[in-house]
Amino acid sequence: MFVYEKQLQYPVKIKNTNPALAKIIITQYGGPDGELGASLRYLSQRFSMPLPELKATLTDIGTEELNHLEMIGSIVYQLTRNLSEEEIKKAGFDAYFVDHTTGVYPAAANGTPFNAFAVAVKGDPITDLHESLAAEQKARTTYDNILRFCDDPDVIDPIRFLRAREVVHYQRFGENLRLLTDKLDSKNFYAFNPSFDRQCFKKK
Amino acid sequence: MNEREMLLKKIGTYKFAIVDIDIFLDTHPGDSEMLALRNRYQDEVRPLVEKYEAQYGPLTKHENQKNTWAWVKDPWPWDMEA
Repeated sequence: MFVYEKQLQYPVKIKNTNPALAKIIITQYGGPDGELGASLRYLSQRFSMPLPELKATLTDIGTEELNHLEMIGSIVYQLTRNLSEEEIKKAGFDAYFVDHTTGVYPAAANGTPFNAFAVAVKGDPITDLHESLAAEQKARTTYDNILRFCDDPDVIDPIRFLRAREVVHYQRFGENLRLLTDKLDSKNFYAFNPSFDRQCFKKK
Repeated sequence: MNEREMLLKKIGTYKFAIVDIDIFLDTHPGDSEMLALRNRYQDEVRPLVEKYEAQYGPLTKHENQKNTWAWVKDPWPWDMEA
């Protein structure tokens, strides 16, 4: 169950609008390595996890990603306030504008709508944790790429916060993978699916 | 930053620290030092939340003492004024 708190995880207050920047940052809302995919991936992967620590981590990180989705939505919203048609045209924001006006829609930077392929769930915890580890690094690289095009400290500050969280989550997923393999036969971790073939856990 | 924003930022800082500790505890559930730190932050943020909600309106729907539904009041988190 989820309870909403009327506060962003980290403040977003952007004084100057910049639709050109909104056009690329939207990719972390609904792009291939964005926060929507991240939250749904972890909140879906958790169901088939065989250890309580893994269920807890995926629940809590999946929930945190919803906070990050809200932050990215806020950044896009604030970057596109009070625009004139001329500013929209000049920034190349017109292609987005005709379909969504200044609403926040989950799409990649190139305009591709959110694709559920971003929510990878294999039902094997070793496979899914590797997916999650890779996802954190892909999101980190995307934030690094976004930062190359940012010169507004009001935008740089929350983007840096989000980038740092990817690194922390990567650390936690690494610990998840170690907690899991510590309970398996070290001669061959990959002979079984630990969610499906329960006999693969070491006898106590 | 006005007084309301400063108080909200302080609350947010505590809440974030607690979230970060939570995901650490998920993989280190026996770490008593971090558990103690989490409890300390919870104790420290509680009066700040109470003060904020009394003056500026609810952060969650748990509390609604007044006879109007204060939850709907602006600003919402994505507003510039938040």
